[in-house]
Amino acid sequence: MRKFWIDTDTASDDAVAILMALRVPGISVEGISVVSGNVPVEMGFQNARYTVELCEKNTPVYLGLARPLLRQPSYAYFFHGPDGMGGMNYPPSKAPIETRPAVEALVEAVRAAPGEITLVTLGPLTNIAVALQIAPDLAQKIPMCYVMGGAAACLGNMTPAAEFNIWVDPEAARMVFHSGIPLLMVGWEHCRGAANLDQVNQAYVRSLHTLYADFTLDCNASAIKANQEWLGDPGLALPDPVTMAIALDPAVCTRRNKHFVDVEIHSELTRGMTVVDELGVLNQPANVEVCWAIDVARWKETLYQVLR
Amino acid sequence: MTTKILIDTDPGVDDAMAILFALRSPELEVLGLSAVYGNTDVEYTAQNALRLVELEGNQHIPVAQGAARPLINPLRNKGQQVHGVDGMGGTNPPPPKGKLQAMTAAQLIIETARAHPGEIVLVPVGPLTNIALALRLEPRLPELVKEVVIMGGVARPPGNASPVGEANIVNDPHAASIVFNAGWKLTMVGLDVTMKTVMTPDYLESIRQAGNPATELIFSILPFYQAFHNQVYGMGGAIHTHDPSAIAYLINPALYHTQELPVFVETEGHCAGQTVPDPRRQWEGVPLINVCLEVDPPGVLDLFRQRLTSA
Repeated sequence: MRKFWIDTDTASDDAVAILMALRVPGISVEGISVVSGNVPVEMGFQNARYTVELCEKNTPVYLGLARPLLRQPSYAYFFHGPDGMGGMNYPPSKAPIETRPAVEALVEAVRAAPGEITLVTLGPLTNIAVALQIAPDLAQKIPMCYVMGGAAACLGNMTPAAEFNIWVDPEAARMVFHSGIPLLMVGWEHCRGAANLDQVNQAYVRSLHTLYADFTLDCNASAIKANQEWLGDPGLALPDPVTMAIALDPAVCTRRNKHFVDVEIHSELTRGMTVVDELGVLNQPANVEVCWAIDVARWKETLYQVLR
Repeated sequence: MTTKILIDTDPGVDDAMAILFALRSPELEVLGLSAVYGNTDVEYTAQNALRLVELEGNQHIPVAQGAARPLINPLRNKGQQVHGVDGMGGTNPPPPKGKLQAMTAAQLIIETARAHPGEIVLVPVGPLTNIALALRLEPRLPELVKEVVIMGGVARPPGNASPVGEANIVNDPHAASIVFNAGWKLTMVGLDVTMKTVMTPDYLESIRQAGNPATELIFSILPFYQAFHNQVYGMGGAIHTHDPSAIAYLINPALYHTQELPVFVETEGHCAGQTVPDPRRQWEGVPLINVCLEVDPPGVLDLFRQRLTSA
């Protein structure tokens, strides 16, 4: 049984990624920490709790940090809908509310099982940066951190240079990237193009006629629309589920290399850009593994198997 | 009516003087010490904080270890040249008897504030990393604490860690920016007053004669600190009064002339760590800070001597 911890700013694609980890055999999700990002942290908390309830699990969901370290919050309602879940207005979960703060819960869980808990981050890295700052030993006690964030190919969605999660809290990302934690950066570019769920893929998912298949499409209704209208990308882009697929099955990532990677925190134009020293011209020690390519068929099959 | 305080500190020679000053002042009730890196590594500063509470029977005061490095910038650790690698002037004192709290410094700050809502004055006299972390972990902290009095910053440069920056702010300008912008009442006891308050060799000698555990400790660790002040500022055995000034302000604010000024904390470039006052309100969105601009040095020195030499 592999142990996971998911850190998330739960909106629509996060919910699908959480669902994947909760539904796939062989994974025990020890906890879910929610952070401010796509939506305010309380809303993300409700969305994560709803997703756990939908999967009929008791996974604890913890409320995390309510704003980025230095920057003002900026939310992505325009992409995920007013509730972050495609305007579906799902009811609140009836599960008891965890009162322990997320960062504290994460630190304790990792220290109680050193070397065992794989971390998957789907939102801005604020919770993780603060956890690593108050408990630097976590960097040695987490065997792998899969990060949905950044864009190694410099293809941004928030700005031309930056992907949303890193752009929202670039200082936190820089702290985590330089903390010594083993980290695989899965950039936003890997959910685009052929990795999209196109019309055929979406029709297939709908044809499964399961609760989880319908949920995947329904809660992403706004995302599908925004992806097309705003980014000119027909189909459903699922960055968090792609990252989760790699965490569940590392062979989904077909080419990965370790590089020196830094995060721009000074500039306005390129705030949150993940600068990958692919050729090693800076001669700095490599700190981040970068996912360069994925097996698209394998990613989609990893998703479909939990929806059937 | 005593003021409940929590000191966030990186002892540190002048931190030690400030902590003993506070512990010996009936106006103040020290509810905890939270340690941060700064003058030296946090492993040393936390142990030194324990030593200081044990020195004169205050071991009931909880001590928590906090941040080991700034939020984003690399650790400078220049303070070791001022305070010694051990933070105690290179005297390597025996280990303390007590134990650190299991919780981290940010948690101690939050727990203490929650236990006494609206009552606590936070007194950070080191880099502001622990306070910044506490603010993000508990967004209600500004409502839970009464006010904040820091030793740090400089309204009228030069600074002591850069031409424009004071060491505590320069060590973690991002944390300082978070703390200055938190929307609470914050008083800056900076170089503008601490460097005008000079402890001369004669003055120090008049304190040494008290011969109590506090003065004995201070004078054992002081030579290293005096040597630094002589080497850099040519002070011939005199020292500036940095961290004890924050305590003096708490006990008797009338010793200081303050002005409410917008103060911007620069986080980037050559001037990172500069605390820029904006008296003409030319920038928008800059937090109002209560800035100590003038001081009554004899008043501060008399108060410090009185407390350190009392039985």
